[in-house]
Amino acid sequence: MKNIYIFIAVLFIPWSFSLAKYDEFEDGDDIMEYDDNDFAEFEDVSEDTVTESPQRIITTEDDEEEATVELEGQDENQEDFDDADTQESDTESEPYDDEEFEGYEEKPDASHSKNKDPITIVNVPAHLQNSWESYYMEILMVTGLLAYIMNYIIGKNKNNRLAHAWFNTHRELLESNFALVGDDGTNKEATSTGKLNQENEHIYNLWCSGRVCCEGMLIQLKFLKRQDLLNVLARMMRPASDQVQIKVTMNDEDMDTYVFAVGTRKALVRLQKEMQDLSEFCSDKPKSGAKYGLPDSLAILSEMGEVTEGMMDAKMIHFLTHYADKIDSVQFSDQFSGPKLMQEEGQLTKLPETKKTLLFTFNVPGSGNTSPKDMESLLPLMSMVIYSIDKAKKFRLNREGKQKADKNRARVEENFLKLTHVQRQEAAQSRREEKKRAEKERIMNEEDPEKQRRLEEAALRREQKKLEKKQMKMKQIKVKAM
Amino acid sequence: VPPDGAPLTPARYKPPATETNPALEDPTPDYMNLLGMVFSMCGLMLKLKWCAWIAVYCSFISFANSRSSEDTKQMMSSFMLSISAVVMSYLQNPQPMSPPW
Repeated sequence: MKNIYIFIAVLFIPWSFSLAKYDEFEDGDDIMEYDDNDFAEFEDVSEDTVTESPQRIITTEDDEEEATVELEGQDENQEDFDDADTQESDTESEPYDDEEFEGYEEKPDASHSKNKDPITIVNVPAHLQNSWESYYMEILMVTGLLAYIMNYIIGKNKNNRLAHAWFNTHRELLESNFALVGDDGTNKEATSTGKLNQENEHIYNLWCSGRVCCEGMLIQLKFLKRQDLLNVLARMMRPASDQVQIKVTMNDEDMDTYVFAVGTRKALVRLQKEMQDLSEFCSDKPKSGAKYGLPDSLAILSEMGEVTEGMMDAKMIHFLTHYADKIDSVQFSDQFSGPKLMQEEGQLTKLPETKKTLLFTFNVPGSGNTSPKDMESLLPLMSMVIYSIDKAKKFRLNREGKQKADKNRARVEENFLKLTHVQRQEAAQSRREEKKRAEKERIMNEEDPEKQRRLEEAALRREQKKLEKKQMKMKQIKVKAM
Repeated sequence: VPPDGAPLTPARYKPPATETNPALEDPTPDYMNLLGMVFSMCGLMLKLKWCAWIAVYCSFISFANSRSSEDTKQMMSSFMLSISAVVMSYLQNPQPMSPPW
C-alpha cells in the first residue's frame, strides 16, 4: 500500500513542477478536481508533495541534499498518511471538514500561495520614498523655469547695451541737428532728457524735435525679443534682425505732394499691400532701380516718374548703393496715414487723417547676433535721413506733376466717397425715419385733440409736397433723357 | 547743421499710434495672460499638475513680453494664481508627475 502511495506521490512531482511555474491559482483548481473520494484523503498529501517538490527545486541541485529532503518529504508524507488515515477512518465519506484541519490549512495555503502566487513586492509609493529621483519631471520643470529667467536677464541686458551703444554713437549728430533730443511727454516744459525712452524690454523710443522743415522725428529701436526664450528658439528656425525705424513728420509747407518708396523688393511688396497710401497712389509693381544705378536688391515704388527722377539724385544714389544691405525701406509720402485699418462693413468712415511723413526702416547688421560695435555702422544712415529731410523740403514738382498729383488725390477721394455713398445714404435714410417717428410720437402725445388734428394735417401736407417734388424730378429726368 | 536763427518751439513727444490702433499692438502678453489663467483654473479644479506647470510658464512668458505701461498688479496676480495652482495640486496629491510616454 505504501508503495502505491509513494508511486502516486512521485507521479505528482513532475506535474506540480510544471504547475509551480504559474502564478495563478487556477491551476490549483485543477488539482482540486481530483477530489474523488479515492483521493480525498490524499488532499493533504498531494498538497504536501506539491510543496515539497518545488522546495526541492528551489533549494539546491545537490544530490545529497535532495536525497535528504526527499527522505524528509517522504517521512512527512508518511506521517500525513498516518494522520489522514486515522482521521479519515472516523469520517469516511464525510466531506472535508474545515475545523479538523485548522493547523494544516494555513500551512498548505501559505505554501500553496508561495508556489502559485510568488510574492510581488509592491513598490513603495513614490512620494513616500526618500529619494528625489522620482520627482525628475518636477526638477525638469523647475530647471526650465530657471533657464527662462536666466535668458530673460541676459536678453534684457543685451538689448539695453545695444540701445545705449546706438544712442552714444548717434547722440552727437542728433544734438547738432535738433534742439530737443529725448522727451517722454511727461515734463511740463520741453526740455531734452537726453535719454532713450524704454517702452519695452525690446523697444526703445527717442523723440527729437526743434529743426527747420520738420515737426519732429521719432526713432524706434525695435530689437528682437531676446528676453523671451520662446522667441529666441523661434529665431533659431527663422533668422531675423533688429530694426531701427525713423519717422519724420514734416510741416505742411515743407513738403510737396507726392508718394514715393524705395527698398528691398520683399519689403516693398509687403508695404504696398499694407500701407494705405502706397496701395492707393502707387498702383504699379515695384520697379527695378537698375536704371539709376541702384543694386538689384532695391526696387522703387512711385506715384509718377517725375518724382523718381527728382528723388534719385547723385547723393541719394550714393547712400542707397553703399548701404543697400542695411536698408529695408524708405518711404516719402504726403498722404501717410499708417497701415490700412480693418473696418467693419456697416461703419461710416471718413478718410483717415494724413500727415506728411518720411519713414525709414533700417536693418541692423548681424542678423540677430549683433554687438554694440555694429551700431556705429548705422551712423551714415542717420546722415542720409537728415539729408532726405532737407531734400524733401527743396524738391518741388513742376506744374505738370502738380496737376497729376492733384488729379490723383481727387480720384482717391472720389473713390472713397463712392464706396461710402451707400453707407451715407443709409445713414441719411435712418435719420429721416427717426425724425418722422419723433414727429408721430409728438402728435400722439399731444393731449389736445384739436392740436392733434392740426399737426396731423400739417404732416400730411408735407408728405404731399415731397411726393410732388419727386414727381417733378422724374419728369425732368425723362425730358432730359429724351 | 545747427538749426537756423528763428526760435523754434519743439513739438512735444506723442506716443506712437499703436495705442490708438489696437490692431498694431503685439497681442502676445494678453494671450499668454489669458492662457495662464485658464490653465491655472484647470489645474486647480481638475487637479492636473501639468496644467498648473504650464500656467506658471504662461505667466512668465506674459511677463517677459509685457509693455512697460502695463501695471504690475495684473502680472503679479496671474503669477500668484499659477503658483497657487501648482502648490495646491501637490498638496492634494504629492505623487510626482508621470510623463505622458
